[in-house]
Amino acid sequence: MFKKNMAPRRMKQMGARSSTDGHFLQQAYIYKVVLLGGTTVGKSSIAFRYVKNDFKESMPTVGCSFFTQQVCLETATVKLEIWDTAGQEQYQSICHLYYRGAKAALLVYDITRKETFARAKLWLRELEKEFLHDEMVIILVGNKTDLADQREVTFEEAEEFAKIKSLMYMETSAKSNYQVTELFTAIAHELLKQEQQEDPGLQLRKNSCVDLQEPNGQTKKCCMS
Amino acid sequence: MSLKSERRGIHVDQSELLCKKGCGYYGNPAWQGFCSKCWREEYHKARQKQIQEDWELAERLQREEEEAYASSHSTQGAQSLTFSKFEEKKTNEKTRKVITVKKFFSASSRTGTKKVLTGKLREIQDVRTPSPSINRQVSIETDRASKEFIEFLKTYQKPGQDIYKQCKIFLEAMHQKRELSIEEQSECAQDFYQNVAEKLQIRWKVSPEKVEKAMDHIEKYVMTRLYKYVFCPETTEDEKKDLVVQKRIRALHWVTPQMLCVPVNEEIPEVSEMVVKAITGIIEMDSKRVPRDKLACITQCSKHIFNAIKITKNEPASADDFLPTFIYIVLKGNPPRLQSNIQYITRFCNPSRLMTGEDGYYFTNLCCAVAFIEKLDAQSLNLSQEDFDRYMSGQTSPRKQEPENWSPDMCLGVKQMYKNLDLLSQLNERQERIVSEAKKLEKDLIDWTDGIAKEVQDIVEKYPLEIKPKNQPLAAIDSENVENDKLPPPLQPQVYAG
Repeated sequence: MFKKNMAPRRMKQMGARSSTDGHFLQQAYIYKVVLLGGTTVGKSSIAFRYVKNDFKESMPTVGCSFFTQQVCLETATVKLEIWDTAGQEQYQSICHLYYRGAKAALLVYDITRKETFARAKLWLRELEKEFLHDEMVIILVGNKTDLADQREVTFEEAEEFAKIKSLMYMETSAKSNYQVTELFTAIAHELLKQEQQEDPGLQLRKNSCVDLQEPNGQTKKCCMS
Repeated sequence: MSLKSERRGIHVDQSELLCKKGCGYYGNPAWQGFCSKCWREEYHKARQKQIQEDWELAERLQREEEEAYASSHSTQGAQSLTFSKFEEKKTNEKTRKVITVKKFFSASSRTGTKKVLTGKLREIQDVRTPSPSINRQVSIETDRASKEFIEFLKTYQKPGQDIYKQCKIFLEAMHQKRELSIEEQSECAQDFYQNVAEKLQIRWKVSPEKVEKAMDHIEKYVMTRLYKYVFCPETTEDEKKDLVVQKRIRALHWVTPQMLCVPVNEEIPEVSEMVVKAITGIIEMDSKRVPRDKLACITQCSKHIFNAIKITKNEPASADDFLPTFIYIVLKGNPPRLQSNIQYITRFCNPSRLMTGEDGYYFTNLCCAVAFIEKLDAQSLNLSQEDFDRYMSGQTSPRKQEPENWSPDMCLGVKQMYKNLDLLSQLNERQERIVSEAKKLEKDLIDWTDGIAKEVQDIVEKYPLEIKPKNQPLAAIDSENVENDKLPPPLQPQVYAG
């Protein structure tokens, strides 16, 4: 089941982002989403809560750092591939490897610890180095609302910051399952919106590049090489 | 003598009779005008080259033929296929032998050859470098890969033929591009993957699942063939980087799980087993040829790591636990040609696999681990710069400071040694037991023989054999009985020795 669902993503990644158009009835958009944030802010817990709630006891992998989840929206089915990252400070310098090819990033912080919010800001700076603003959906997530009495970062403060940086913003609680599903649905919506905005252009480009003898320069592969 | 013959008008020139090589011996038209010795030499040389070329051609023909076979959907078995191939190869060898021999004698033969031939010659030069046994090994594997590929394509029917053609064109194109930089070759491969997949989906309307499967097979087929040319090519720094990483990991041998905050307790037997399995997995990666197989090794290794963490912590691991453990495993395993493998996968794997999906995720983690190891400093291990420098220079080891903590469990090698010692002592014990049992058996046997002898003796003594004078009474009976002859002989006392 897992394997089967990987197929459309592959095709999509082959370069033509709209290769899923027209030819297949069920469209499947697949997006890579990275979870960023310091240790113990609840990155993994958010993903775990989100995936587990829908899948009940079955886990997609042995570990809890790679998840896939399908989101059914009105217009299409979106598949999210959630990549968890190590939040320890010493790994910050190498984490740029994780967000290659990612379409969305969750900047998670713990509302009861001010320093995690500062780290989230740092992550954002890192991301801005690698991505143009419209290349990636970035969402600021204040986790652990269940511990509201120990709050150090106010909702307003974070919202203000998100506004300035034009990020999406949400507060969640993985523990009490507050707004976790909503969070990912919002991401899926946003991703789809972006996809549809880009689509017309892609459609045009696509018709002109099926010649196999002479590889077409426009649809060059991704940044991995 | 020569003068004489000329005068007589025999119209054979002396020079025509002599060996073409000018060794002074007479030549023979059957040997192309060479003497027997020179002919053998020349023939051998030409033949060596011929064998190489034939191999190329046969392979090409086989490919073509098998393609034709695949397309015709004939019901012939695989046996006839291989046989016809053999025939073809054989006839071809015959005809071509003549050609090359001719070619050998005409000076201009090489200059006038077609592009294909130069390509072939280059191939031969390339092929010549490795030792024949290695070359052969590769060929067998390649052969198997192409057979499997063809088998697989049969299930795709028409698109299968197309795939095959594309692969062939691509392989030939790669052949021409061998001189180019590895980046350009990589680009070529990536474009190829992309184009084939697109074509399958758009022109042939193959379902995404089947496209994926086909792409995997294509990658396997193509990369098995290209591996030896594009893995760690001489034109790059890959090998140098490999050595740098290897040296670096060796220098970091003193790093303990505690320093990396690895949530794995190797004192638990199941955990240490998982750790060993993970290390084996990551080392095994180097032995695979196809990028996807290499990725599978990494994924397998990662799964073992997750298990190890899970057993230690009793809860599912998160990325915060996983990455440090992975780094620790890489440090412990020091997998061979790490950079070459990473580069090879990056360059020639189907790109979609690297960017997303589980395999891609774990591969990214490996890249992170290597990047971390390269950059690793005192801070990243929560050590003071002084300590770090001391450990790096090998003056002290963190372990030496706390010898009381030293246990056989700490080092795999030592652990293995203890295990072996244990096994040896067990074996020794068993051997001793066998020797003593054997001795006992020997003694038993001797006792038994003695016992039997004694018993026999007793019986013999108890019932002494008395031979009674037989004549009178028997004779008396006999004389009266006419049918005496027909009676069975009288029973005699017998001794059974057992």
